[in-house]
This record gives sequence, C-alpha cells and structure tokens, in this order.
Amino acid sequence: MTKLTPRQKNWLEGTGAHIGTASKNGVPKVIVVDKAIVENDSTVKFILSEKQKELIVANINENPRASLGPGGIGSIRAAYQFKGVASLKGNELFVNVDEIYSTKPGPEAGLRLDNLPYEDIIRFETSRWADDGPPR
Amino acid sequence: MKIPDNIVNLLRIKDINDAIIYFATSSLRGNINLLPVSLTDVYLNEYILLPDLFAQKTKVNLNENRVGVVSIVLPDDYRNITIEGPANIIQWGHPKSFRFYNLTAKDILNNWGVWTKKEDVLNEINENKPNVFKQRGVIVIKAETINYN
Repeated sequence: MTKLTPRQKNWLEGTGAHIGTASKNGVPKVIVVDKAIVENDSTVKFILSEKQKELIVANINENPRASLGPGGIGSIRAAYQFKGVASLKGNELFVNVDEIYSTKPGPEAGLRLDNLPYEDIIRFETSRWADDGPPR
Repeated sequence: MKIPDNIVNLLRIKDINDAIIYFATSSLRGNINLLPVSLTDVYLNEYILLPDLFAQKTKVNLNENRVGVVSIVLPDDYRNITIEGPANIIQWGHPKSFRFYNLTAKDILNNWGVWTKKEDVLNEINENKPNVFKQRGVIVIKAETINYN
C-alpha cells in the first residue's frame, strides 16, 4: 500500500493541488483546489465548489484515474506527481493515491517513488530538499 | 484564439521562479499525466511554449493524442485558468519546414530550441535548477479554449 511521506503530506495540505482527470477517450481537464487533507496516509480529500465538481464529475464517472500536482507559491520544490483512483461523495473528492513519481528535472524526472522502500523515499527527499513542506 | 494580455504577461519569460504551471496530457485510454513547468513563453499571443526536458510521458501521450491543457493560478486573485488546445512537440531533428498550424520547426527551434539562451536556467537562484540542462525540443500548445474556473 502506498504511504505518503510527511513532506508530501505537508506540501499537499499546505498548497492544495492541480487535479487532472481525463475522459475515457483521453480528453483532459484540470481544476485547482487550494486546500487538501491527507487521510490514512494515502487518501487525499478535497472540498470542491459546485463549479469545480461540474468540471470533473463526468470524467470521474467514466474514468476514475486522477493525477495531483502540488500547487501554490513555492511548490516548484514539491516535485511530485501523485496518481490514484478518484471518487466523489457530494462535494468531497477523494483520491486514493497508488502511484507517486518524482518530477524533479533531470535524470530523476519520472522516477517512480512509491515502489521504493519507505526509508529510501525519506532518504531521497532529505538528500534533495532542506524543507519539510511549504513555508508556514 | 488570442490569449488575454494578463495571462500572456504571466507566461512570458521574465524572472526565474516567476510562475509554475501544469501541462496535462492524456493517453487515448484516459491515463492522465501532469507535467510541472517553470519555464514558459508565448508566441504570437496564441502559442504557449515549454522546453521539452525529456518529458517522456508527455511525449508518449502527445504522440497518440495531440491535445493538452495548461493550468495556471493567477497571482492576483488565485483564480484558476485553464487553456486547452492541440499540442505537439517540435524536436531537434524535425525538418525546418515541419509545420504545426502556422508555426514551423525553424521558427521555434531557432528561437526557443536552446532555452538557456533566453533564460538563466542554471542560475543558483532557480529553485528547480537541474544539474545539467539538456533540451530535446519545444512543447507547443495552441490556445483554443480558455476557461476561468
């Protein structure tokens, strides 16, 4: 089971995320939600406005895969892409993350992190970034 | 369609670390991918340009499904803007006459094919500075729809 690190949680909760979805035929749609809550180490919850929900509900109903990229100021240092299965309950969007990728430019771009041992992911982060999340 | 001036100004080359956008692509089966990008420019107020720094999944997606979405947050009011349209990668190796709408590979690669000539990407103040900068081409998105979310 995928387990988000404290740094990953802090960035998602501190800045929210760009949320990408696609129709079953590959038409992409993106919304941005500025707040997120990480539940049980791998589920990210967002509260959507009616308009945000309207924009993605059709995609999620036919194709539940979603991708998350940390948004907001400074998030260039949050070089992660989170992918998972999305579900809507009312205006709450839940994304159960099952893939995590590095998006750090260079040879590590696209490196899959979630299949590394958890301790190695922590080591990967601490050797590359001094922060443990966005400025508070 | 023409992109409004305030968004063009946001996406034009200015200072390093000035804006981060996401570029979304999808496979034809709906496998979505988000590419974070901190280097952007705009040409003819209609085409958004990004250096291709070995964006491998983006390339795989665009090879089978030539559409993309650029997602931006406006710094003034934090509104989310998405710009949708056809997209392609113009790469070193394309013939100079290769066309994408009214652009040619020659126009794009001569001007943006070596991004470091335009922007000091390797400066230490770049918060996302790569150890080395190797560019394979330029990702181009033609603005067709702009959504204010």
